[in-house]
Amino acid sequence: MNGIAVRAGAALIGAACVVWVAVPAVHKPWAGFALFLAITGVAAGALRLALIAVPVPEDSFLLPGALRAWLRFLETLRQVPWEEGAVTAVLWLEVLHPSRPWHTAVLGAALIAYLLATHLAESGSRPGVLRPHTRVLAAGAVLLALGAGAGMLPAAAPGAGSALLRLVAAGALIAAAGLVLPYATRGGDQG
Amino acid sequence: MSSLAPNEVGSRPGTALELRWRSSRHARRLLTLGLAGLFIATLARRPEFAGLAAPALLLLAAGRVQRRPPRITVRVRPSSRRGFEDEVMALDVSVEGHGDGRVEWTLHPGREIAPVGAATADGPQVRFTFTPERWGRRDLGTLDVTLRDPWRLAEGHASLSLPRIDVYPAPASQRTQIVLRRLPNRLGEHPVRVPGEGLEFSGVREYVPGDRQRSINWPASTRRGRLQVNTFAAERSQDVVLLADATSDVGEPGRSALDLALRGAGAAARAYLDARDRVGVITYQWGGASWLAPGMGRRQVYRIIDSMLSAETGGWTSGASFRRLPRAALPPGALVVVFSPLLDQKFVETLRDMRERGFAMLVVDVLNAEPPSQSYLRALSRQRATDRTARRIWRMEQEAIRFSLRELGIPVVHWNGIESLDLPLGPHTRRPLGVRR
Repeated sequence: MNGIAVRAGAALIGAACVVWVAVPAVHKPWAGFALFLAITGVAAGALRLALIAVPVPEDSFLLPGALRAWLRFLETLRQVPWEEGAVTAVLWLEVLHPSRPWHTAVLGAALIAYLLATHLAESGSRPGVLRPHTRVLAAGAVLLALGAGAGMLPAAAPGAGSALLRLVAAGALIAAAGLVLPYATRGGDQG
Repeated sequence: MSSLAPNEVGSRPGTALELRWRSSRHARRLLTLGLAGLFIATLARRPEFAGLAAPALLLLAAGRVQRRPPRITVRVRPSSRRGFEDEVMALDVSVEGHGDGRVEWTLHPGREIAPVGAATADGPQVRFTFTPERWGRRDLGTLDVTLRDPWRLAEGHASLSLPRIDVYPAPASQRTQIVLRRLPNRLGEHPVRVPGEGLEFSGVREYVPGDRQRSINWPASTRRGRLQVNTFAAERSQDVVLLADATSDVGEPGRSALDLALRGAGAAARAYLDARDRVGVITYQWGGASWLAPGMGRRQVYRIIDSMLSAETGGWTSGASFRRLPRAALPPGALVVVFSPLLDQKFVETLRDMRERGFAMLVVDVLNAEPPSQSYLRALSRQRATDRTARRIWRMEQEAIRFSLRELGIPVVHWNGIESLDLPLGPHTRRPLGVRR
């Protein structure tokens, strides 16, 4: 897979995440602003990846104004953490919706795919470098499904206490996965 | 830039570098996703967001388990510590102790050092190519090393200052030599009028006992009826002192008077040393002169250029007068070839003084610039007239200086730095240079 395909893939997955949380439209305060932030973050991130190979001269003295403005634009594009902003805005949009656990789980998988594709595009690596991640990603997928399942379970009793209990259970699951992680990664490296 | 085969880089001891580890952008993005998911899960009490945060947090935790080397050993070897202007040189770098991390290199070249090809490379052993653009003692620059762990979640950074190299001026072309009419009695390659054991045919004379049989000229002996032998011209060498004027550096960089003086002196040193002459150099600077006694051999070229580039080699004499120079630096009867823009009046006086002391001299004028004129649009007409007059006076002064030197018997030739030095020196290389006393 060449670099252009990976960049295009990252941009498409980011756009799909935004569409996934934006439909159906939610009419709550700040929802429009969150959507604007998400679109801006994904679009600017895609533009950053598209212009990642554009060289910048070492010396920027005595350059024409247009070239200086272009270099400033490139610097801004490369310095601002667009993807972090996009991820935060997408989660913000998702939490504005009423609870829909499997929808959130799919969004989580798509966001991980978006971040991994962005990483591959900016480092110029082949997808094969993610092979050691396979076991960890599989464990994460299981936790993702468990989290969604926990969200779908009816509360044992109405009130804040039961919700907090489910949350603590999910946290304990993540911690347990963290404890077995060294063995999982060692096996993955050998493979 | 290209990758090298293993073990191609030399086995010299390397430089140990401490790595500064920090999170990669990828790790920061995963952390954002994980923390935001957990934050929302806690605030909104929706466990599916904790599940959403789980893969990112697991990836980060897995990355923390990986071993990260605290330091690495970097070996840097330039292809040569010496080079000429515009010569393509190589820099081999290799790293040890990086484990299974991925190594990335970024070369930040120093002043007047231009990379040939890419300035970034990946791999434990790489080669950068560069070319020095101007003579002098040049810093190659700095080399940034970035080590990424296999999970690309952390980056170790280190920076290394690259060594200096000595860049010599690209020598001009000179094949012919100026030869003095009277040469010291020392074996060399310049034929003189005195008969001797050289290769150049001189004449025929009658055989006397003791002459070698192989030198008998049989056709002449047959014609005259008596044995005749060939005679040959003796071959001698001369002392040549190159005098480089480093007081004025005028003109555009790369073609300034000092550039031309150094290139011309380098070419002359090669030409005379090829003819087995003894060549020395005197570099005239403000406040004195540094010198290198005449010598022979290939290495003398590098000694001469080293002496011109810095005052470390040879001796140093303060004061503008050359009377204080020892005989070793300026041997009596030596040919003095001067490379100068003739802008310093004290230097011109010194040349006159040397001429009066009986040295055979030739001046190569390396002035290729004129005083800068004001912009046409900005200057008023009165100022333009003043400017024109001042430039005219300056030119007349320069012509007067050159005329006065010629009147003293010092030939002055102009060299533009582009053509071969043989062209301006042509009228003086065809016949021996006499010393008018």
